[in-house]
Amino acid sequence: MTEPDIALRRCFQATFPELPAEAIETASVDTVEAWDSLRMVTLMSVLEEELDVQIPPEDLPELRSFAAVREYLTQKGRLS
Amino acid sequence: MKLIEALQIVGRPTPDDAVELEVSLVCGCTPLHLETFLTAELRERHPQARVHLSSGLFDDLIGNLDRADQSSADAVAVVVEWADIDPRLGLRRAGGWRMGDLTDIVDLSEVYLAQLGSALTRIAQSKPVICCLPTLALPPLFPQRPDQSGAQELQLHNNVASLAAELGKQASIRICSAQVLDELSPLLARRDVPMELSTGFPYSLTHASALARQLAVLIGNPVPLKGLITDLDDTLWAGTLGEVGVENVTWDLDSRSQRHALYQQFLASLASTGTLLAVASKNDAGVVAQAFKRADLLLSKDAMFPVVVHWGPKSSSVRHILETWNIGPEAVALVDDSQTEIAEVQSRFPDIQGLRFPTDDAELWSLLRRLRGLFGKSTATVEDALRAASVRSASEFREFTQGSKSPSDDFLARAEGTVEFSSSPAHKLRAFDLLNKTNQFNLNGDRIGEAAFNDAVRGPGTELITASYQDRYGPLGTIVALLVRPDGTALAIDAWVMSCRAFSRRIEYHCLQYLFERFDATEIVVHYRSTDRNGPVSEFLEAVLAAAPSNGPVRITAECFHERAPGLVHHVLEAEQ
Repeated sequence: MTEPDIALRRCFQATFPELPAEAIETASVDTVEAWDSLRMVTLMSVLEEELDVQIPPEDLPELRSFAAVREYLTQKGRLS
Repeated sequence: MKLIEALQIVGRPTPDDAVELEVSLVCGCTPLHLETFLTAELRERHPQARVHLSSGLFDDLIGNLDRADQSSADAVAVVVEWADIDPRLGLRRAGGWRMGDLTDIVDLSEVYLAQLGSALTRIAQSKPVICCLPTLALPPLFPQRPDQSGAQELQLHNNVASLAAELGKQASIRICSAQVLDELSPLLARRDVPMELSTGFPYSLTHASALARQLAVLIGNPVPLKGLITDLDDTLWAGTLGEVGVENVTWDLDSRSQRHALYQQFLASLASTGTLLAVASKNDAGVVAQAFKRADLLLSKDAMFPVVVHWGPKSSSVRHILETWNIGPEAVALVDDSQTEIAEVQSRFPDIQGLRFPTDDAELWSLLRRLRGLFGKSTATVEDALRAASVRSASEFREFTQGSKSPSDDFLARAEGTVEFSSSPAHKLRAFDLLNKTNQFNLNGDRIGEAAFNDAVRGPGTELITASYQDRYGPLGTIVALLVRPDGTALAIDAWVMSCRAFSRRIEYHCLQYLFERFDATEIVVHYRSTDRNGPVSEFLEAVLAAAPSNGPVRITAECFHERAPGLVHHVLEAEQ
């Protein structure tokens, strides 16, 4: 696992401390009750700070799961 | 602090026996990351506390203030931005930036700020208020080029500054320093426009972090250090006294030693607000005495006590100073140009703060700022001005009694002491200070927050009583604070502290006598608990009861007290309410 991948997981863990580590990769808006708009904004801010990426507000609606976030960051060149 | 770090701190479990710390965060914007950072900062500063942060409704700062006023919060942190004063000064409403609007904005700002000031003053009657006035840049709504401040812009700033100056006079309101925030958070990097427009949270992460840090410092309001011990050569003055002579040590611009003058001036400032100053120097005592006679010294020799000068280890000087002051090393800082000397002292007193006096001017600013950070206090009291003199008189008293805990009746009578009891709210600030700083004569070691103290003082049935003392050796100021509750023919003492400078004068006996008479009580119940440091209370209670006290309610009957109390020879007064 690369350092950015580890950082991505760390961001999710910090934003959703109630989420067990093994559930992070399958986490989504539909499976995590605490994943509301406030947590979404927090997650995006943490990702921006940790991975040095800008996430425009208009991109947020598509980032509804760990997988979607990972794919988005890969396209932005932040993950391998 | 980074956001991920703050989230991790907030997510940590709290101890089972954690003390609750409730803070109302009042702002007009979405609190979002500010709330996270502030919670994290408070958790770091208060590791034994369970921190609860409550915030209010979006875009309703005045309403949120009312809600905070009604709450049981221990402190209220208020963050005001320009958009709260007038929505047209923010970015989420397009209410107009025409010339006619500007006059209206300035005029209405006075009305809003007056309303804000009233609300904050009302809240501060019961809870400490920490207030941060606008930190974001004004949008470019004024007609002048950005490089120029026009009259209306200046009037807006003036209106806010006037409010801050008035609020800053109140003991329970602490205004965040704009200067410190400027140092921590560059103005142009404070605003996150996309975040403000999409969520209503206007701050960048770095600014939110800096703001939260400052709020947390002022919420915690750390207890300042009590004493500063200074070296002399190349610290108080430039040069080595024994080598160059009294007239050739310097502290002035021409000699390129102005930083020593600024340091002397700073020490004088500390002394004027009650910080104890002492000297620990490896030098010739006679030559030092001559140097202190120089008329151009910026610090009075009377402000420094004791002055310990010899060629032995500096740690022994520090030990003597701590004993004279009767305070612990954790409440003291040592300033010396020699890191070796600081290390030697810290090897004996690891809790003492050691600060190196700089060898060049560039480092002076950070030394003075650090010292102000260690010794700064929100407000100064009358007792602060008396402190140095009262320490000196307490030391002289101990010399005369030869350190006896039980000086004779005759000696005490000749001291011509007067104890004055008061229930006046004028001593509330000093009483709060005593209750939270006194260790040795402290009934149970309990500390009390400002909001809880205000509630206790204002609550039905509870009375705050203070006592001041003076004798032929000088005034000690207010040295006793009690929180008492009449309970039928009994009287409960929930809190009782006495400054260590007042020991050996039987003032504690006078307190009980006064309470028995004032409340016509047949019994006094003190809520005692043994701590590491309140041996003097244990000894006192044992003397009164003829038995060691147990933790919990300790009953002292009037009969028992009068049987066992020694002669009480001081003149006793009761201040008018």
